[in-house]
Amino acid sequence: MSQDKKEVIIQVKNLKKQFKHIEVLKGIDIEIRKGEVVAVIGPSGSGKSTFLRCLNLLEQPTSGQIIFEGSDLTDKRTNINQLRQKMGMVFQSFNLFANMTVLKNLTIGPMKIKGMKQPEAEKLALSLLQRVGLGDRGDAYPIQMSGGQQQRVAIARALAMQPDVMLFDEPTSALDPEMVSEVLDVMKQLAAEHMTMVVVTHEMGFAREVADRVIFIDQGVIQEEGTPEEFFGNPKNQRLKDFLSKVL
Amino acid sequence: MISLETMGKIWNSYSSFYWKGLGNTLWLSVVAVVLGVILGLIVASGRMLTIKKDENIILQLLKYAAKFIAVAYVEVLRATPLLVQVMVIYFGATSAGLKFEDSTATRMFWCLIAVALNSGAYLSEVIRSGINAVPSGQMEAARCVGMNHWQAMQYVILPQAVRNILPALCNEFVTIIKETSVLSMVGTAELMFQAQTVASATYIFVEPYIIAAIMYFVIVFTLSKLISAFERRLSRSVTR
Ligand SMILES: Nc1ncnc2c1ncn2[C@@H]1O[C@H](COP(=O)(O)OP(=O)(O)OP(=O)(O)O)[C@@H](O)[C@H]1O
Ligand SMILES: [Mg+2]
Repeated sequence: MSQDKKEVIIQVKNLKKQFKHIEVLKGIDIEIRKGEVVAVIGPSGSGKSTFLRCLNLLEQPTSGQIIFEGSDLTDKRTNINQLRQKMGMVFQSFNLFANMTVLKNLTIGPMKIKGMKQPEAEKLALSLLQRVGLGDRGDAYPIQMSGGQQQRVAIARALAMQPDVMLFDEPTSALDPEMVSEVLDVMKQLAAEHMTMVVVTHEMGFAREVADRVIFIDQGVIQEEGTPEEFFGNPKNQRLKDFLSKVL
Repeated sequence: MISLETMGKIWNSYSSFYWKGLGNTLWLSVVAVVLGVILGLIVASGRMLTIKKDENIILQLLKYAAKFIAVAYVEVLRATPLLVQVMVIYFGATSAGLKFEDSTATRMFWCLIAVALNSGAYLSEVIRSGINAVPSGQMEAARCVGMNHWQAMQYVILPQAVRNILPALCNEFVTIIKETSVLSMVGTAELMFQAQTVASATYIFVEPYIIAAIMYFVIVFTLSKLISAFERRLSRSVTR
């Protein structure tokens, strides 16, 4: 596919992560290319979140390398705060800043971290809020909004830093069913605009429809990866077959 | 028998004594709580230091030492009575020659230090639990927009922690107003000491204290009511 020609934006080499007694990731190797949408699926507790959180060093990998835009994140000399600006993250539980209005949630990063002027930051914030369909809610506090609205704000907040990659950790799992699609629609729109995305998800429909590549993590390793057609149409790994038969 | 008439007479002759005592009680309490907050912040930061295994070994040892001192300080001051602390600090310091020319100033100074140390121990726990009550996702989200630890603290965590801390901080102030009465034991002229002075000057032993009790009650009761009203407003503005 044409994907192979695009430049690699994140390269993960033999990533291992151990919590006190359990080794959650036992050696993950993967390359993520610019503009690619990678869906990560796997059973509960298999280490999907841990993998995603290692990518921006919310978890410190035990060993291995993560090379993002040419810098090795696991190298102590790398300025992680600077590189995190280029990696937006969206959490299952939204995590909007509870002490700020929606608009402030979007402007605080650009203003305090990038030194953007307030009018410019607010203009950017408003245009992003419009993009996620919440142009009129800038003055609201997160607590006044529904889960689906909060998650759309969270996506806009990450986009306000103009990242090169967006990481999503089960962005729709905490939502009431009727709100899932409003968030998925925003993500689909992002994918259509060629944002590089790594999405941990239980939404098989989304993985099949939007992802360029799906990876299956189980027992701490990538058991299988492929295009959605191969992956769902002709799974080879026995554990993946079992998993798919349960969730589909 | 308690006689209103006696109380009236005492008040007429000694009201300036009581006002002076109340003034001292209040300013000692205010300054002690302000110092206590500063101390509490330092001690809470000490207790919350994270020690990473890959750090410089000297830094790790310093952090362990700071943590140990912070924990020991809090535990010792919370497990001993304020009166004992005041005695130890005041007599300890003055017998070591740490005093000013003016003995009143010396008394006030060491009493203030003792009360501040005491409330610093309580407040450090209030501050620590106020910070810990902010969900961990808030810190993670702040780090994910590129903030460093201190920026995240400044813009996201502390503003939320303040809402958790303020009510307990006000209550600590009210408690301190009452507890400064023990300072009378070393001769600091706060409200309780002034009542004692009036009692020994007049040989009347109930009414002078009742006047003090009324003054404590009016101040503490009013402040407590204000605080609960303020607390209700705070919680409304959070849940909206
Ligand atoms: N901070 C931690 N300390 C100790 N163990 C942890 C920690 N975080 C995760 N784990 C463990 O690591 C394993 C993988 O967790 P992880 O959250 O990555 O799984 P997951 O695939 O995202 O699961 P889910 O689908 O339920 O979100 C689990 O067994 C979990 O208990
Ligand atoms: Mg997870």
